[in-house]
This record gives sequence, structure tokens and C-alpha cells, in this order.
Amino acid sequence: MGEVSAGGKGERPAALAIGVPTARVAPRWWRSIAVRRFVFGYSLLTPAVLYVGLLVGVPFLFSLYLALSDASVGAPVARFVGIDNLLAAVESSTFRVALRNSLVFTLGAGIAKSILGTTLAFLLMQRFRGRKVVRALLVMPFTIPIAVSALGWKWMLDSQFSVINWALGRLHLIGAYGTDGWPVWLGQPALALASVMFVNVWRSFPFGAIVLMAGLTSVPPEVIDAAKVDGANFLQRLRQVIVPMIAPILLVGGLFDTVFTLSDISIVYLLTNGGPNGATEILPTLAYRVGIQAGALGRGAAISLFLFPLLLPAMVLLLRNLRRREW
Amino acid sequence: MARVTRREFMRFSGTVVAGASLATMLDARQAPAQIRGTTLRMLKWSHFVPAYDQWFDKFAQEWGEKNGVRVLVDHIPHLELPARYAAEFAAGAGHDLIYFVGQILTGHYYRNLVDMTDVAGRLAKKYGGWMPSATSAAQVGGTWYGIPDFFIAIPILWRKDLFDQHGLAAPDTWEKFRTAARTLKPTGHPTGIQFSHCNDANHNWRAVLYCFGAREADPSGREVLLDSKETREALRFAKALYEEGMTPEVFSWDDAADNRYLASGVACCIHDAISAYRTTEDTNPEVFRNTFVLPEAAGPGGERRNVGEPNVWAIWKFSKNVAAAKEFVEYVGDHQKEAMTASRGYNLPFLQGQYQKPMPVIGTDPKLHTLQDIGKITSFFGYPGPMSPPAQEVLTSFIIPDMFTRVARGQDIEATVGWGMGEIRRIYAKHQAG
Repeated sequence: MGEVSAGGKGERPAALAIGVPTARVAPRWWRSIAVRRFVFGYSLLTPAVLYVGLLVGVPFLFSLYLALSDASVGAPVARFVGIDNLLAAVESSTFRVALRNSLVFTLGAGIAKSILGTTLAFLLMQRFRGRKVVRALLVMPFTIPIAVSALGWKWMLDSQFSVINWALGRLHLIGAYGTDGWPVWLGQPALALASVMFVNVWRSFPFGAIVLMAGLTSVPPEVIDAAKVDGANFLQRLRQVIVPMIAPILLVGGLFDTVFTLSDISIVYLLTNGGPNGATEILPTLAYRVGIQAGALGRGAAISLFLFPLLLPAMVLLLRNLRRREW
Repeated sequence: MARVTRREFMRFSGTVVAGASLATMLDARQAPAQIRGTTLRMLKWSHFVPAYDQWFDKFAQEWGEKNGVRVLVDHIPHLELPARYAAEFAAGAGHDLIYFVGQILTGHYYRNLVDMTDVAGRLAKKYGGWMPSATSAAQVGGTWYGIPDFFIAIPILWRKDLFDQHGLAAPDTWEKFRTAARTLKPTGHPTGIQFSHCNDANHNWRAVLYCFGAREADPSGREVLLDSKETREALRFAKALYEEGMTPEVFSWDDAADNRYLASGVACCIHDAISAYRTTEDTNPEVFRNTFVLPEAAGPGGERRNVGEPNVWAIWKFSKNVAAAKEFVEYVGDHQKEAMTASRGYNLPFLQGQYQKPMPVIGTDPKLHTLQDIGKITSFFGYPGPMSPPAQEVLTSFIIPDMFTRVARGQDIEATVGWGMGEIRRIYAKHQAG
């Protein structure tokens, strides 16, 4: 008990104020600066985590559930079937062709876009009259709705009324209409696959060029100048100075493009619908056809999940590379 | 003259008045009062004949005004319908009245569709019964889960002027079709049938198969019957037809390409819906004057079997307005003649009594009047089995057009049949296991 000091009437009991030895209150642990910073940081992060979790995580887990079940469009309750759907997909030659086409489509278009995008970016970095107009025109393929541009290409690649064939015919580079020398862009297997890849490249490579330009503008000119003074030629400057400096941007751009190309359903769906004889069938079109149009949701989901193991290693490699560069 | 007592007179006149009233009510079929003040939302495709959609929307609005129902009609491209239905089913909400076109999903969704046997029964009674093939589109286990609206026939359209110039007979058999193509291709007028991934390829090559006597599945829809001598004959025929009478562009064609081929004046004959006839009528009057129509070509055994594109109404169980939806579907069934007129003869009814001659549009056009009997030779994918989920998957996977494409491109027939049967049996096995 604390000591009470004497005091006159009306005086404020001093002991109450100073005489009672109060235990020193330690700051609550959750009010410490470290914890408060931790909570504040995570509360800022929570919306993003919820967003990714709800819009990416839940659909992914749901498609995983579908792929392991015999779900169909009209059956609310599905049975667990293990990896039956995955095995059924692998057994189908249509699926194997679609898988091969997906790889060819993604790699082929990716390489073409890299070359064209890089070339275009360097060209657009040069100073010339009308550069802004040219830049605006070049991004147009990327800004036009894909359905509109694909239908435009469908007409340009038409077997009978193709403007490309008309021009090539006028230049005497192809045979007459109705002969074997008349290219049927969307009807001959190799040409059909090349055509859908071409339209994908045409639509996406300006995006690659813009990403690359963004990176190139961040490279200090004095670094380039220094490399020039040291006698580095263009390729050496590109390989040893520019690319290492803009590598994070290139990697993120490459990752985006790979994902977009591998999951691109619109161009194939609108131009060839996977034909002729599966020559342009890719995993997204096959998954849509089996899962939605034929109603076999489980098997459709299993086909679409084959994209995941293809993308995962690429993503892990790229992200690890990015992290290493951050440190 | 016998005396009639007042009691007898009253009884007789009462019976007459009551009977007449009942007959009038039945004839003018008043919708039940409970649907007044409700809303009916329906989802349809965008018809190939835009004027039909305009007519239909007005027709639906007028029905709504007459019955005090607010009617909302949504049209989307037919290939997008399956995705929309999957979404509506998953959400348990959406349109009251839906529509299957080409891809008939009755077998998938029947557990979640309203039993419409009462509507089907009333329509059958009024119009002399349904075509036998109608049940395939709308029934599961003997119950009507949908009401067939109309189907689209895929006849032969041929250029009489070109045939006459070379003394060729009308292509009423596939052999004559081939002879004509072989004769006319060197003159710059080949034929063309899609060897690609499109609806027409599915219908056209099935028609060839069925005309050659091949069958897709048994009547129960459980056993695949395509591994047959007739299938091989049909494939052999298609290869010859391609090599002798077509150009490679058929491998790239979509559904509209053969319309353009005919309208451009190049084709000597095609196998397509009368949309091609209408396109030609609108764009090339000279070619149109010489374009004639035959319901189907006969196979080597004389069999003619046209493969149509079915259109079916259905109602979700979660629909908020089943009563109005049923009333409207029955009302549409009562007005098929107007629908035929609005679609310029494109829509053909499933009800046998609606084939009384002359039929609207096709009965008055001398070049189309032969289509008035096409209902007798019409079947649908999966024939003679039902349009079951596995048959639907075979259809959407384009396996049959791909078999024809492989053979036309030079693959061995046995290897092709082996591939096709492998894919088809795998699909049937998965569905039967499920």
C-alpha cells in the first residue's frame, strides 16, 4: 500500500499523485513500431492479395477441381475421377496435335515477335520526320478489337477473294485462281498454321516494340556513349550494355507475351476454327470445344490445365532471374 | 314436323352455345390470367435471315401486349449460345426461355429443364403429330424437355444452264453430282463442299454418309455403327468427288464460302441451305435465274437422307416465368406459317400437319417446291440414334469432316476409319462411363 502524506483540508493529496508507486506500463507488443509497420504493410497488400486470390486463385482451384471430376455442363454434382480426364486427353490424337500446334504457335510467334519488335523499337528510337505518326500507326493493330482485325484478315486470306492473292497474281508470283499455284492460306495445313501465327505476330509485335522502347529510353545515353568510346560496336553494346540493363523489362514483357500467345483463342477460332483437319487446333480452342460446346466440363478443364505445366517452368525461371537481378 | 319442347330447345341451344364458346376459346387460346403483369426473358440466336429476327421480335412484342406480358428478346450468335447456357446454368439465373441451335444440349441439361410434354402433346394433336426425327432433338427418356421450333434443310443447289449446256442430268443422285462436277470443273465451274471445321461440313458429309447407307449410332444411341462398308464407300466417293470436281480452296471454307461460290457464278452445284439461294437472288440475278434446288441426292442404294439443322425451345427449371414461356412456345408453334414467310422459306416445321401444300414461300416458288417433301427424308446428327451428349461431342469435334478431309488429302481409307473410330469410341466410352 502506498504511503499517504499529511496534508491540510482542501489540499490535494500529494500521495495520490506522487506517492503511490505505480507499475511502469510496458508498451503493448501490438503497438510496437515493428508490429504497426507490419500490420500497415499487410493491410495495404490485402486488397491485392484478395484480388489475386478471388480472381486467379479461386478460378484456378475450381478448374483443378473440374479437371479431376466428371463434371458436365448440365450436372451440378460431379464425381471425383482422379487423373482419368488427363489420361483421356493424352490418349486422343486430336489433343496431341493441339499440344504440338500450341508449342509451335507460341515459340514460332514468340521468336518472330522478338525479332520484329526489337527491330521496330530501334527504328522508332531514331529521329525522323513523322515519327509520332508512325508510332501511332504501329500500335493500331494492338488497339483494334481482335474480332474486327481477325475478320479483316479472314477476308484478306479468303480462298476466292483474297486481296493478297490478287496482288501476288498481278505480280505473276502465283498461279491463276483455281490452279494448284493459287495459295489457299487457310486451307493448306502448313499455310494455315503460318497464317494464324502471322496474324498473332502482326497484332502483338508492336506491343513488344513499345515495351522495348520503354526499356531503351531508361538507358542513360552516357553509358552508351562510354561504350562507344570504348570501341564497342552495335551488337556488343546491345549484348553487353543494353540487354543487361533492360533485362527486367524484357523478361516481364516476354512473360506476358508467352502467356497471351499460349492462351490466345480468338485468332484461331475466328480464322480456321482449328481446321483443316486439326492443322491449326491449339489447346485453348480444343478445351473450349470439348468443355463448353460439347459440355464435358471435366475433360475441357483437363485440356486447358495442360497449359499450366507449360507455363509454370517458364514463369519460375523468369521470376527467379528477375529476383536475382534485384539483389 | 316434330314438336320441340321448351326444355329440349333450351338444352339443345345451351349445348350449342357452350360448345361454340369452348371451340372459340380453344381456337383463340387465351393465355392464363396469371401471366399478366409478368416478364418473359428469352434468348435466341441471330438468324441467318435478319428480316426473320425483325419479324420475330415484333411478333413476340405483340404477343406480350395481347397477354399483358413484358417480353424481352436477346439475340446472340449461335456459336456463343453453349457458353451462355453453361454460365446461366452455373449461376442458376438467366433467361426464362432458351433456344438450342445446331448444338442440341437437351441431353445435357434435361435434369434442369421443364417438362414440356403437355405443350408437345397439344401441338401434336393440333397439327397431325411430330416428324419422327423431332423426338431426337427434344425428348429424353420419352419426356419432352424441349419443343422443336423449326429445322434448316441443306438441299442441293445446281446451275441448270451449265448442266444443260453439257447435256448433264439434274444431280438427283450423288453419282450424277460427281459426273457433273467432273465434267464442269475443266470449264471453270467446279463444285465445292467444305472440308473444314464448320457447321456445313458436319451436315454435308453426314448427308453423304447416310445416303450411302452408313449409320452413326444405333437407335438407342449407345453403339457406334460407323465402322462399316458403307462408310468406306462414302469416303471413297468423297475422295473421287474432290479430286475430279473440286479445287483445294474447299479446305479453307467457312459456312458462307459456298454461298459466295454460287453467287459469284463459279460453282456448278453446291450442297447448302437455301441461304445460298437467297444470297444469289440478292446479288447475282443472272445466276439466280439458273439456280435450281433438289431436296437431296440419292446414294448408290437409292437412299436420300438430308441432314438438317434443328432449332429447339427449352425452359430452365429456375425460370421465373414457366407459364408464360410455355404459352409463348405454343403460340409460336401455332404460327409457323408466318415464320416460314418471314424467313423466306428458310424455316421448315417439325409438325407434320404444317406440310400441307402449298406451303408458304417454298410452295409458291417453282424452284423450291420440291422442298415441301423434305421433312420425309430429314434426319439429324447421330442418326438413327438421338442427338445425345456423345453424338453432340462428335459433332463439335468435327471428327466426321476430318475423316473426309484426311481421305481427300490422300490418307489411306482404312487408317482414316481406324483413327475416326478410335476418337468416336473414346468419346462414347467417356460418356457411358459418366
